[in-house]
Amino acid sequence: MKRRTFLQLLGASALSRPLWGAVKHTEQYFIFIHAAGGWDVTLWADPRNERKGLVEPASTDNTDLTALTHWKKVALDSDTDTFEILAPSDVPMTFGPGIGDLYDLRDRLTIVNGLAMNTVSHPDGTCFSATGRHLAGGRAPASSIDVAIANELGVSQLLPDVSIQFPSAYIGDSLDRRAIPLRVPSAATIAKSLARSDAYFNDDDRASITALLTDEAHALAKHSAFPETYERLAAQESALPKLLGNELKAAFTPQALMAAYPQLDYKAKTLGQGALGAAFAVEAMKRNLVRVVSFALGGLDTHNQNYKFHAHTQQELFGTIATMVKLLDDAKLSDRTHILVFSDFCRTPQINLAGGRDHYPNNSALVISPRFKRGRVFGKTDHEQLLPAGDKPLSPPDLLATFLAAFNIDPRRYLRDGDVIKDMLA
Amino acid sequence: MRASALVLLAACGAGTVKPSAPAPLPAEHQVVLDTTPKERRRMLPPEVYLRAYLGWFGGLAPLDVQNRARPKGLFDAWEDYLSALGLPDYKIDLPRQTQSNTLMLATLGRLGEVLCVRAAEHDLHVKTPLDQRVVFAFDPKAGSLDEFSVGFDVLHRTFLGYPVRLAPADRAQKFYALFDEVRARHKAKNPLSPDETAWAAVCAALVQHPEAELY
Repeated sequence: MKRRTFLQLLGASALSRPLWGAVKHTEQYFIFIHAAGGWDVTLWADPRNERKGLVEPASTDNTDLTALTHWKKVALDSDTDTFEILAPSDVPMTFGPGIGDLYDLRDRLTIVNGLAMNTVSHPDGTCFSATGRHLAGGRAPASSIDVAIANELGVSQLLPDVSIQFPSAYIGDSLDRRAIPLRVPSAATIAKSLARSDAYFNDDDRASITALLTDEAHALAKHSAFPETYERLAAQESALPKLLGNELKAAFTPQALMAAYPQLDYKAKTLGQGALGAAFAVEAMKRNLVRVVSFALGGLDTHNQNYKFHAHTQQELFGTIATMVKLLDDAKLSDRTHILVFSDFCRTPQINLAGGRDHYPNNSALVISPRFKRGRVFGKTDHEQLLPAGDKPLSPPDLLATFLAAFNIDPRRYLRDGDVIKDMLA
Repeated sequence: MRASALVLLAACGAGTVKPSAPAPLPAEHQVVLDTTPKERRRMLPPEVYLRAYLGWFGGLAPLDVQNRARPKGLFDAWEDYLSALGLPDYKIDLPRQTQSNTLMLATLGRLGEVLCVRAAEHDLHVKTPLDQRVVFAFDPKAGSLDEFSVGFDVLHRTFLGYPVRLAPADRAQKFYALFDEVRARHKAKNPLSPDETAWAAVCAALVQHPEAELY
C-alpha cells in the first residue's frame, strides 16, 4: 500500500470514529427501578437466618413458603424452620430466598448493603434514594438520578426520560428542558397520548401540520430575543411525526407489549402492572427512542399479616428484573444498559405484634452495569441490629455519586453530598 | 386724562406676553428605557390551556368535551390524560408537573385535533347558521388564496388573538398550502367533505401554533 493511501485511510478512520467518550456515552441506556414500599433486605441482599440481637429471621411462623423457589428449610428451633442462606461458590456473595431468578445472574450483580437512610418515612426515603437529598418540606430539593443522566446523556433522544410512577424530580435553572421527565402512571398512557384516529385525518395530514408548525417555529425564532425556546419547540414538533406514526403507537399499547414479551409475568400477584414498564423499557430501547426509562415495582410495604407474602413479592420483583435483563441480552443491549434498583428503606429486623415488619433506617441497593464490579457486595451492617456498620457507612448520595462518576459526570453538578466509591467501579 | 389713557393703552399693547412652551430643563444624565424581554417564552400551566381550549370551542364543560370527543376513538376519558397534560393524578399520588414536555404537546395536539373536527362537523358539515357557529363563523369558500384569507383571518383572530395582516407576510400563504394539501388528499372518503376536512386541519394547526402555546 502506498504511503499516501495509507494516510488517507488512517485519516478517514480517525474522522469516522469520534472520541472514546462520545461513542460510549451516547449509546448507553439506563433503567432506574423504585422497589416501592421498603424491602426486607434480610430476605435477599443481607440475609439473616438466626435469632441474634434484634433479628427475628423470616421463618415458617411468619412466611408462606408456597411457590418460593429458593427457600431451603433449616431448623430455627424445635418447631420452626427458617431458610438456608444461598452461598454460591462462584461469587463472594450471599442471598436470601427473595432473590428469585436473579440468583442465576449473580455474577452480574453489584450489591450495596448498609446504606444509612436516616429516615423511616416513605416520601422522604424515596426522595433520599432518588436524589441524594432529604425532602425540604414536601418537595425534593434536588434533581433525581434519572433527570441527571437524561440531562447529561439523553437530550438528543426523542424521549430522554420516561418516568412511570417513578419519583423523578427536575429541579434548577441550569438543566436542559429536554431532560424534563415524561411522568406517566403507566406505559399505556404514552400509547394513548400518541394515538390518533384515522377517521378524519391520516398520517400524511399530520405530517403536513407538523411540518408547517416546525417551519413557523423556526421563522419565529429568527425574530425572537430568545430563539432557543422556539427552536426547541421546533425540534419537538419535528419529532412528533415519528412519535405519532402508526407503527410506534401500536408498539406501545399494553396488548402489543404483552404479545412482544410474553416472557414477563403480567399476571403476577402484586407486580403485574410493573412488568409492563419493563416491557416498555426493552421495546423503547430496541427502537432507540429513549435514554432513560424509570419505573416503580411496588407492594413491599408489609406491616402486618401481608408480610407472609413479602418474599413472594421480592421473588416477583427480581424475577421481572431477571427476565428484563435476559430480554436485553437477546436484543444485544445489556452491555450498554445500566440498571439501578433501590427502595425507600428496609424493614425492621424484628417482627411486630401484627406479624409484619415496620420501617427501618437501613437499606440495600442493586446495580447491574458493566461499569461496576460485578459479583461483589459493598457496605455492611452489624449482626445484631441490622444498622449500617463501619466508620463511615455508605449512604444514597455515595451510591448516586458513584453512578454518575461511572459515566464521567461530575457528581457535584447534581449532588450536594456523596463521595465516589472508586472501588465499586470496574 | 386723555393723555394718560393713551399712555396706558400704549403700555398694555406693547407689553403683551404671548404663551410659549417652557424651555426644557437642562439634562443631568440620560436614562435608557430597556424594553427588551427579560425572560424566555414558556408554556402556560395546563389549566390555562385547557380553559383556552374549552373557551375557543364554545364554552364547553370538561365533561361535554369528553362526551363529544369519545366517538370514533378520537379521545378517551380525562382521567387517562391527567399526568400527560401535567395535572396531578391523586389516584396514584403523582404530583403536578412543573415543566412542560413532549408528551404534553402530543396530548394537547390530540385534544386540539378532536375539538377542531367536532367544530367542523357542527359549523360546516350541518351548515349551522353563521350566528350560531362556534369556530368557523365565516363563509368557507377557499377557491383562491384571497377567499381563504377571509376565513383564515377569523380563525387567526380566534386562536392567536390578532388579525393575520399583522403576522409575518407569508403566514396565510403557508396555511393555504396546508389547506390545499389536505383537501387534495381527501377527495372521496371521510365523514367530512374535502373542504371541511381541510378547514379542520387549519384549525388543528392553529391551536398547536407556537404563538398559541407560548407566552
